Amino acid sequence: MRAHFIITEVLTGLRRNATMTIAMIITTAITLGMFGGGLLVIQMAEKSQKIFLDRVEMEFYINPEVTERDPQCESDPCAQLRRGLENEAGVTSVTYIDKDEAYKRAKEIFANNPDLAENIVEGTLPASLRVRVSDPAQFDVVLNEYSNRKDLGVDAFKDDRKLVQRIFSVLDGVRNATFAIASVLAVAAILLIINTVQIAAFTRRTEVSIMRLVGATRWYTQLPFLLEAVVSALVGALLAIGGLLLAKKFFFDTALKELYGVSFFARIELADVLFVAPWLILGGIVLAGATAYITLRVYVRE
Amino acid sequence: MQYKASSRPALKDLSFEIDKGEFAFLIGPSGSGKSTFFRLLLKEDRPTSGDIWLGEFHVNKLKAREVPKLRQSIGCVFQDFRLLQKKTVAENVAFALEVIGRPRSTIQRVVPEVLEYVGLEGKHDRMPNELSGGEMQRVAIARAIVNRPLVLLADEPTGNLDPETSEEIVDVLDRVNRRGTTVIMATHDRHIVDAMRRRVLEFDNGQLVRNDQQGVYGIG
Repeated sequence: MRAHFIITEVLTGLRRNATMTIAMIITTAITLGMFGGGLLVIQMAEKSQKIFLDRVEMEFYINPEVTERDPQCESDPCAQLRRGLENEAGVTSVTYIDKDEAYKRAKEIFANNPDLAENIVEGTLPASLRVRVSDPAQFDVVLNEYSNRKDLGVDAFKDDRKLVQRIFSVLDGVRNATFAIASVLAVAAILLIINTVQIAAFTRRTEVSIMRLVGATRWYTQLPFLLEAVVSALVGALLAIGGLLLAKKFFFDTALKELYGVSFFARIELADVLFVAPWLILGGIVLAGATAYITLRVYVRE
Repeated sequence: MQYKASSRPALKDLSFEIDKGEFAFLIGPSGSGKSTFFRLLLKEDRPTSGDIWLGEFHVNKLKAREVPKLRQSIGCVFQDFRLLQKKTVAENVAFALEVIGRPRSTIQRVVPEVLEYVGLEGKHDRMPNELSGGEMQRVAIARAIVNRPLVLLADEPTGNLDPETSEEIVDVLDRVNRRGTTVIMATHDRHIVDAMRRRVLEFDNGQLVRNDQQGVYGIG
């Protein structure tokens, strides 16, 4: 009886208040969708950062004069530099790339860009030592120690992190922007819920006054209004999740295909969306439930 | 059963009791405090000072969560009937039980009984706008007594009805009273008060000016 009565009340309420209900659903859907998108970006950034940290390298370019005398890095100072790097804590590998290798790699990297590739002249690229560090904390220590060792033949150095940090700062920006928009929308959603609940309560003021008069408890009188808001938010959350799945398929998978190719980036998987989904549902329910509850306490007299 | 109420400025310095099973009229000009008295009994208002008792309930000391229990012991009927226009006669009465969580089986048994009791057999499925004023007030009475309250408060229940219909409604209230329910009726209808010869409490300007055991409406 109880459940049946309350469900009937909720459905009637949603129907009578259809336009406000739809507005509430759309706003919560977009709000939660934006939050969900932000969460996906965070996940992607974290996973990508892990991949990046495994692959990040620094590269020390060897002074051409040194390479001239010692093309394969077999004697000092190049060999000394190499030994020193290999003995540093946290260093997992040190690879010597001679001039031929450097030329080959450059050609590969610019394979898709013939104009640039043509300008690479054999023998002009310096040889280098590529160093991979397992512990990111050690990265700076090693880099700082050897970057200015001209005596060991270091001519210049390259820090891979710079490039990747730039990419991640873009991701951070995207995340912050999504959260900012989502927060503004959340305010709109809350205001809309407050209004909808008040209108719903006003539309049914006769029922409510009779309910109070015959001794219905506060919960019995107000639960239908609360549930109306929660049900709308739930529908909104489901729409948001559907939207994220579509966004994954048509935006992340398609538009970011190029970036995925670089393989710095972790793909957004179905599992990621499914991981975010329950939080969106929970968030929607809590947002609507709490707002409706407070509205009923403040605006609707017992 | 006893009531004692004092409040200012709507009601002040008054003290009286109405016994269980009594039929009492509240009379007095508009604004004399009759409706305030009802609101105090229902705990829709609280007195600034004084005590109100309804049976076991110390009304002005009740906690918020105990108020529903109090109101379940009180039935209310109004001049404007206050029916739900989108529900049938039977649904209007059933509503009062549904919202206090009574089981469906009880509702299905009790609603036809009470409709017959107030003289509405065969009209279960009518909508309120298909009914006469007298019939609407019968629905309201059925709704008020379906949960077997201790007290029935009737706030000018015949105010919108012609004299003949008014008598019929008072007959129904009288039957409810004979079944053991205390009835308190606020009215301006002198004929009814004079004909019934029951307890009369007259308010004027927030004060109790008359308290007769078998009173009449008064002179003038």
